[in-house]
Order: sequence, then structure tokens, then C-alpha cells
Amino acid sequence: MKHITIRILLSALLVFILLPLTGCWSNKEIEDLALIVGTSMDLEKQEGAQEESAGQPGGQPHRNRITITNQFVTSETTGKGTKTGSSPQKAYNNVSETGDAILPTLRNMVLRIDKRAFAEHSKVIIIGEDLARTLDMQKILDFYIREQEMRPSGLLLIAQNRASQTLESNKPMDIPAFQLVEMTHGHGRTTKILPPTTITKIEGKLHAGASFLLQNIVSTKGEIKFAGAAVIEGKTKKLRGFLNEKDLEGLTWIFGNGKGGLVKSVDRKTGQPIIYEVLSLKSKIKPHVNGNNISFDIKIESEGRIAEHWVVSENSIETEFLKRTEKAIEEEVERLVDNVLNKLQHEYKTDVAGFGNQLRIKYPRIWKTTKKDWDQIFSEVPIKSEVKITIKDYGTSDE
Amino acid sequence: MKQHDHENKKTLDPAETSTNRFSGNFALDLELVRTKIGHNSDVQFREFYIGGTGIGAAIIYVDGLSDKELIDQHIMKSLMVSFSEKNNQDPSLVQGVLSKELIKNQVLTISEVTETQHVNDLTSKILTGSTALLVDGLQHVLILGTTKGKSRSIEEPSSEPLVRGPRVGFTESLRDNTALLRQHGDNNNLSIIKFQVGQSSKKELVIAYITDMADPALVEEVQKRIQKINIDDVPESGYVEQLIEDNYLSPFTQVQNTERPDRVYSALMEGRVAILLDGTPFALIVPISFSMMLHSPEDYYDRWLPTFLIRLLRYFAAFISLFGPSLYISFVSFHQGLIPTKLALSIMGTREGVPFPALIEALIMEVAIEILREGGLRLPKPIGPAMGIVGGLVIGEAAVQAGIVSPIMVIVVALTAISSFAIPQYSAGITFRMLRFIAMFFAAVFGLYGVVLFFLFFCSHLVRLESFGVPFVTPIVPYRVSDWKDFMIRMPLVKMKRRREAIHRKDSIRKG
Repeated sequence: MKHITIRILLSALLVFILLPLTGCWSNKEIEDLALIVGTSMDLEKQEGAQEESAGQPGGQPHRNRITITNQFVTSETTGKGTKTGSSPQKAYNNVSETGDAILPTLRNMVLRIDKRAFAEHSKVIIIGEDLARTLDMQKILDFYIREQEMRPSGLLLIAQNRASQTLESNKPMDIPAFQLVEMTHGHGRTTKILPPTTITKIEGKLHAGASFLLQNIVSTKGEIKFAGAAVIEGKTKKLRGFLNEKDLEGLTWIFGNGKGGLVKSVDRKTGQPIIYEVLSLKSKIKPHVNGNNISFDIKIESEGRIAEHWVVSENSIETEFLKRTEKAIEEEVERLVDNVLNKLQHEYKTDVAGFGNQLRIKYPRIWKTTKKDWDQIFSEVPIKSEVKITIKDYGTSDE
Repeated sequence: MKQHDHENKKTLDPAETSTNRFSGNFALDLELVRTKIGHNSDVQFREFYIGGTGIGAAIIYVDGLSDKELIDQHIMKSLMVSFSEKNNQDPSLVQGVLSKELIKNQVLTISEVTETQHVNDLTSKILTGSTALLVDGLQHVLILGTTKGKSRSIEEPSSEPLVRGPRVGFTESLRDNTALLRQHGDNNNLSIIKFQVGQSSKKELVIAYITDMADPALVEEVQKRIQKINIDDVPESGYVEQLIEDNYLSPFTQVQNTERPDRVYSALMEGRVAILLDGTPFALIVPISFSMMLHSPEDYYDRWLPTFLIRLLRYFAAFISLFGPSLYISFVSFHQGLIPTKLALSIMGTREGVPFPALIEALIMEVAIEILREGGLRLPKPIGPAMGIVGGLVIGEAAVQAGIVSPIMVIVVALTAISSFAIPQYSAGITFRMLRFIAMFFAAVFGLYGVVLFFLFFCSHLVRLESFGVPFVTPIVPYRVSDWKDFMIRMPLVKMKRRREAIHRKDSIRKG
């Protein structure tokens, strides 16, 4: 009996001595972290830039050099602002570093900040226009896809001009990275914003070689604005060009994934504006294959309400007026759709609207033969669109 | 002490017993008693003559323990006044010698009368409140039941107050307590069996059970364990609890204690056995399961829907009281990515300038609050609440102001402390409070992995634990679906037709 008790005690002692021996490994206190909330990447233009911060003198000079800017939030930047509130200190701290690969550049930041960089709260990655045009997206994002300590739900954005500018803000207490994320929530109320695109969503498309869209942002004098979308070509995985907000509206109608938004049309009789607000939006892309000829039909159906109309003379509950208005809105939407299709087919020659996907589902055999240079085939395919608008509500006023 | 033992042994020696027997010689017998207990100031000797006969007699009693009025009215008066009157009418009654039958049957108006020839029997009876009557010429000494125990009135139990339910609690008097159980309802099957515990100072202990509910094997096991108790003195039922429980190394108590007769009775109706000890208001219930620590009698008095939710809340509170600080530590020191970003930022901000890692910070606060709890317990009643508030404020406010701990830690610690008091069984709350320190160390070493590890240790221990043959975590392991109706939730009474499966009993249907 005694024997067993002693043995139990000894083994318990052993466990309790051995446990702390591990020394709290991977223990890092939260206040010692510098949270990376946003990252921007830019191409360094100057060929002869002498900043050898990468620490590799005489490396490969012809390589593209990338400037990475991390937006850090640390306990100092959050703590002081809220407690004393005396000095209007910035709520964030942007640190830039230049190098020719992502991770070594990031690690060089260790030389400049006293805290441990921590990317699990990273909200957004912004890629500069120039970088996206010159470098393969897969290469740029490879590190971020591989990295464990990274949040795959981070947003991916393209910045016109320099991306690092979008991480600056006029208001020192705001954190631009958070603002960007908040702004994408506007997707539900306008057709001019793309649904949020995360790194995980992109990963599959990159592997499949499909073209896709990324939200485009513009920063002017510390103010950020969502401005259309950037087209990434599937084959080269590079930035092909930009779609403006109008184009993006048309695309949203084709996608049918809008949750709300407005269409401004003009009453043909009076020339006054009528604003239609989308309540529901559905679209269907139907591929047709006739021998070697591929064609598509787009069927768009939407229900909505008249949100505002300046045609004072007309009573909005009259059928004739409603019919006329529906027609006008349909035409406006068709115009939007045709406009963007035209641009995609003829200017960019990339399928970012998911036509290929529909073909793959309906005609997998044909897709197999065409998928190699689908973007090229897409640019010559006839596409017909049909829009049906139903106004089922005209607000609380009938005048 | 040693000498005392020696003396004790002497009296028990059979060779010596002849000298301890009463001889019938009044003076010698009285002297014998006097040598035994005469040195005690509270033992009263009263010598007198039995009315009209001139026969010497004496009563011996303990002042305060015996009912003086009873002695005066029914012993002294009967022997001196009534007897002389009777004697005057019929002098043939007494011819020089009084027979003990005569006194017992015709003179004394006392219900409880026994007789003994042995002085040790006598003294122990006297010291528990009986009165001894020595009569000249009698070899037998009469022992008259005049015990008047000191007991307080029945009050609401202070350790288990309820909003709804009987305002009755046990008292220190065993007889009052058994009476309370009898009073609960007219049940012929309620058995109350008497035992004696304690070697030096003997105490009365009873076990109570319902004959047609309780498993005879269980009753036998309880009896066996109680008979095994071998200790000088049993001051409180806590002693019994510790001496009969299955695993004394476990942090969990395997015996429930309660001050509430209704709780005891409902346990009896489930086929459990209650143990009541004289001198303490705390009754014990065996066997118990883990879930019983989180149940309150009120659960059955209130309607089922609020109870349903309150039970879930209580389990949640138990979880917090066990894992609150350790989860905080592991999130803050290891898994910052799991905290929502905005929260992470505010925690970062509040922890800025705190000189300690999360574990030390948590330990400081937890220990402080335990000291506060323990100190508050000892404070005199009038200043208790005041000091509690002052202590709480000082620790909460000033420690944050001084930058020793972060405000969020204060919230975590306060929430944890409150949660542990939401557990109805106080002793279970203490267990959880104790174990959470271990959980904190696990968290500080391994993070969330450590917390899970600790939880596994915790579970594996609980699964092995038994209370009088009933598994401790019974509706879970072994899995008994029908018992889940009254486990983390409580179904409507209409739906609870069957008794608990966990406890063996003869009759499984609760209502007809």
C-alpha cells in the first residue's frame, strides 16, 4: 500500500516538474505583439535604387524589387490614444521595407520594430497597380497562401497608383485597413462594389487559370475610394486593366449576385430621371452549343421599387406609366450589360463574368477542348441578353 | 492523556468490575458514584429521606442537562410528599425495605425508567442528562430519563437559502432533525436506525432511508462503513463524510451535505440514504452524483421552463468558474489570433504597461479574491459587507489604476468568482475554485492545448470516481438516456415518470 502511494506521489511530482520544463513554449504576450492589420505591395520603379535594405549587396539587380508596407497596430498606438487622449498620435504605424522576395523583406522589419509582428489579424492585402501588371499574382501571393500565421479570410484589393498610399489616412485615429474592410460591406447596398474577395477564393482561381476581378481602390489625399474593378487575366495572372464603376454595375447584373442597388433611367416622355431600387436580382447564363458555334443567353430578372421619380405629372400607380418605366429601366440595364460585355470581349478579351463556368457545367466535353484558350474564344462568342424588370412597389406615396 | 487512557482501560477491565458494582449499601454506593464523577462541579447530589419512612435516598443529576422542573415535580415530590401521603393511608406498603418495583410502578411519575447495577453505566447516563436515584437497601440504581437537551429554534438554513421552498433547516439536536424528517410526511417506511460513533465521547448518529426504496445492499454498505469509524470524537458530520467516502484523495466530495430537510427527504425518496449526526445541522446524503452538486431543491419547486434554463446557466457557470481565467490566459498569451480583432486591440491597449505576464496577473487577482473571500468569512457580521466592498473596490479599482493588472483581468476574475458561487453546493464551488488554479498553470504552459489536457485529466478522474457504488458522473458514464431528463436540464414533472436509473431500488415508477 505505502509503496503505491509513494509511486503515485513521485509520478505526480514528475509530471509537475516536467510540465514547466517546456518553458511555456510559443508563449507570447499580447501586448508584445504588433498586429499586422493590413499589407500593401508596390513595385519599386527606380531601376538604380540604392537602398540595399535587403542586405544583399550585388544580389540580382535586374530583379523586380518590391516595397512592402505593413500596417502595424501595437499596444502603444491603441493604449495611449484611448487613455490620455492628449497627443493626437496615429492609431497605426506603417513600416515599409524593400526587397526582391516577400518573406526576407518582411523579416527585415524585425530590424526596425521592437515588437513581434503578428499577422493572424491581417485584414487586407493591397497590391499596387504596377506590381500587378508586371508580376504573376500567384508569385506575389505565394507566401501569403503558404504562411500559417496568416488569416486566409483577408481581403485582396488592387490599388490604382501606389498601394502604400491607401494605408494612409487623414484622420489619425482611424485605421485604414479596418476602414477598407468596413467599406466592402457596402456591397449590399450598391451594385458598384464587388462582393468581398478573400485570399482563399483567389487561390482556386489562380490554380485553375481563370480570369477574375478584384476590387479596385483609389486613394487621393488620404481619402480612399472604391473605384470599379481590376481585371486579372487568367492566363498570365497579371492585371489586364480596369473596369469603371459603370462597367462593374453591368457585371453585377450579369452575376446576379447583387443584393441591392440603384438604376437611374430617364422617362422617355418627359426626360425626367426615375430611380429604380433593386430588391431582388437574379440572372441566368445559358450556354448554347451548335456544332462549333458557342453562344450565350443571359436572362436577368429583377424585382424592385421606384425609389424616386421626378415625373411629377404622372401618377405612379398607373399601369401605363409603370410599363413605360419598366421598359426604360430594362433598356438602361441592357445598356449597362452590353457595355461591359463589349468591353470584356473586345477590349480585355477575358471572361471574368463566369461564362466559361456555365459552359463547363452544361457542356463539359466542349469545355475541355475550349478551356485552354477560353479567353480568346470568349471574345468572339455572341451573347444575347434579356432583362425583365418588375416594379412591385412604389413607395409610400402615389403622387 | 496517557494517564487518562490508562484509567479508561482500568474501568473496562473485567477483573475490576466487581468493585464497580453497587452493593446495596447506601453510603458505599453513593461514595462510589462520588469518586467517579463527584469532582465535577456541575454534578449535583441531593440526599433526602423518602417520605414517611426514614429510608435514605439520593438523586444525582447534571445541572443544566436535566430538566429541573421534572425532577422537582415528578421525582422529589413523588418520593417525599405523595409517597408519605400514600404511606399514611396504607402503612403495609413499606416494611422497612422498599422494592424497586414499588418505586418504579407506584411512585415515580416518569416515563423513562431503567435500572443498572453498574457504576460505569450510571455515570455515562448521568452525564447525558439522566437522573440517578439511589435508594438505601436497593442493589439496583434507577435511571430516570430527565434529559432536556439544549437546542435552538428551527430557522431557515443560512448556507442554503431558497426563494421558494420550506423555511426549515436542521438544528443541532438530532431528535429535532429526525422529527423534521418524520414530520415531512406520513411514511411508514421511513427507517431511522441508531448508531454510536466516537470512542472517547460517544455520539449518536442515525441513518435514515425508506425501506421500500433504498437498495438493501446500499444500506448495508453504509452501515458497514459507519461501524468502521474508529476515532476519539466526531465533532461534526464532516468527520463522518471524510471517513466514509470512497476516495479521500479526490478533490471532489462524494457525499453531499445539506441543512435542508426537504432536500434530504427528496433524496430518500430517490432511494438514497441520509446520515444525521447529533450536534450538527448538516445531514449527509449518499450516494451522490456530480450533477447533484449543481442541482438545487428549488429546481423542482419552480416551473420547469425557467428551471430548464437556469440549470443550463448553472452548468455554464461551473464551466466558467473552472476555466474562465485559464481560457483568458491561453487566448492572451498563446492564441491571439482567436480573439476578434477589435477585442484583441482593446486587450492590447489595456495590458499596455502591465508588468506581468497574464499568468502572474491572473494569479495575483485570483489569490487576492480568495483572500478577500476567506477574510470576509471571518469578519464580524456588522463590518463584513463593508469590508467586502472596500476590499473589492481597492483591489478592483486601485490595482488597475496602479497598472498592476489590466481591467479585463478584473472582469475575468470577478466573473469567475461570482460563477463559483452560483454552484448550489458550497463544497463543490470550493473544489472548482481550487482546480481552476491548476487549469491556469496548464494554460500558462501549453495554452489552449493545456486547457484541453487538463480537461481530459479532469474527466478521466471523474469517470473513475464512485460514490457508494454509484458512478459519479452517472447519466453520462454509464450512459443512461432517461436520466438526462433531470440532468443538465429538467423536463416537466409530468414527463419524469421513472425514477433515476442510476440508483438501484425496488420500485422504478415514480407516479402511478
